[in-house]
Amino acid sequence: MSRHLRSMLAFAALLYLGGCVTARVEEIREGHTTISGGDAIAVLGKRDRPSATETEFDFVECVSRNMGSEVPVIAERTFRDTLFPWFEPRTAPANTRDLPELIGHPMFVERLNSIGVKYLIWIEGSTRRTDSAGTMSCTVSPAGGGCFGFLTWENDSEYEASIWDIKEGHTVGKVSSEAVGTSYMPALIVPVPIIARVKNSACSSLANQLTTFLTDAS
Amino acid sequence: MIARRLRMMLALGLLTLAGCSAPKVAVQGTFPVPLVNPYPIHVGWHLDSALTSYVHKEKIDRGGEWVISVGAVQQSMFDSLSKGMFKGYTFLDSWESSAPVQLIFVPSIEQLQFSTPKQTRSKYFEVWIKYKFELRNPDGTSRGEFPLTAYGKAHIQNYSMNTNSAALQEAANAACRDAMAFFALQFRTLGPVKAWLDQNGLGS
Repeated sequence: MSRHLRSMLAFAALLYLGGCVTARVEEIREGHTTISGGDAIAVLGKRDRPSATETEFDFVECVSRNMGSEVPVIAERTFRDTLFPWFEPRTAPANTRDLPELIGHPMFVERLNSIGVKYLIWIEGSTRRTDSAGTMSCTVSPAGGGCFGFLTWENDSEYEASIWDIKEGHTVGKVSSEAVGTSYMPALIVPVPIIARVKNSACSSLANQLTTFLTDAS
Repeated sequence: MIARRLRMMLALGLLTLAGCSAPKVAVQGTFPVPLVNPYPIHVGWHLDSALTSYVHKEKIDRGGEWVISVGAVQQSMFDSLSKGMFKGYTFLDSWESSAPVQLIFVPSIEQLQFSTPKQTRSKYFEVWIKYKFELRNPDGTSRGEFPLTAYGKAHIQNYSMNTNSAALQEAANAACRDAMAFFALQFRTLGPVKAWLDQNGLGS
């Protein structure tokens, strides 16, 4: 095997392995859940006021996409538009105590039945960089360029999903997902990123657990 | 060889500078029809050119001139709003009209403000729009006015490409939706509107 080919294979292996991620999922069940033909779910990110934080769109979409292969999922934007203005940041129910008032509107219930949504999944949380270290310097000149140094950083993803039975007006459970991972970027002329896919790991864990939660008849 | 590398570096520099230029955004698209019980009334809307061509321009220190245009979507907003809220509606060229309307709304934008993540040391673009709604009788006489302040924000992390423009546009779009949501759900509590509804036996 040529030296050049061995170097490329080693580089590809490093990228494939990525940084290390540890993930944990917890579940609390408060009620019975069933998904039958015609039932759908909607996955929403917390954006209500006066909270200053929002759940990232890409995380909510990731969870929706991963769950969508097992259960019918209504996209967040479609859900908000279909039930406008009841799930805008100004008007969205903050907790299940606000649901009975919504369910009391016949038009709301009729529209909900038309799209078949049985469970609402509210996701709140975020991915944050909790630590970083190292330095890297790069130069570019007419003769060429390159980087030298070493960077490392740690990301922490913490998300919690509350599952509401929107027709009954109560919470049926909570699922939380936490993932921590460290990424590295050594550089000797060319930076070599070894990225820990923390958010993806949290998304996959959360989506899998939510799917199990909803489809498990216990 | 050196000339070729210099050309490449110049091209990279120009591309970088292009990404740093101040955004010029215009709110676009359609708005959903509110899911509310419609009022059994026929209303008129007079949207003057100051509203339908509203553009906010602001120079930010070391940031250039930022431009937000919301005028073009105002008719679309009030069209969707009216489809859900009222039995019938008409857009009027003037508030003195012979059209068979029971009430006339004349909205205007008094002020638009925005903030950037750099200014607030946060990760959000924020937009505030302050509307003023004049309420008029079919003969054009005034029945009062009420304010409506709308707010929208967008997280910069949600927009990876062309970050500033896309996020600012979404914040402005969110503010427009917020204005519609407030109007639809608080309609019967708005001072002059409540008085008119009570007077015409529609207060409950």
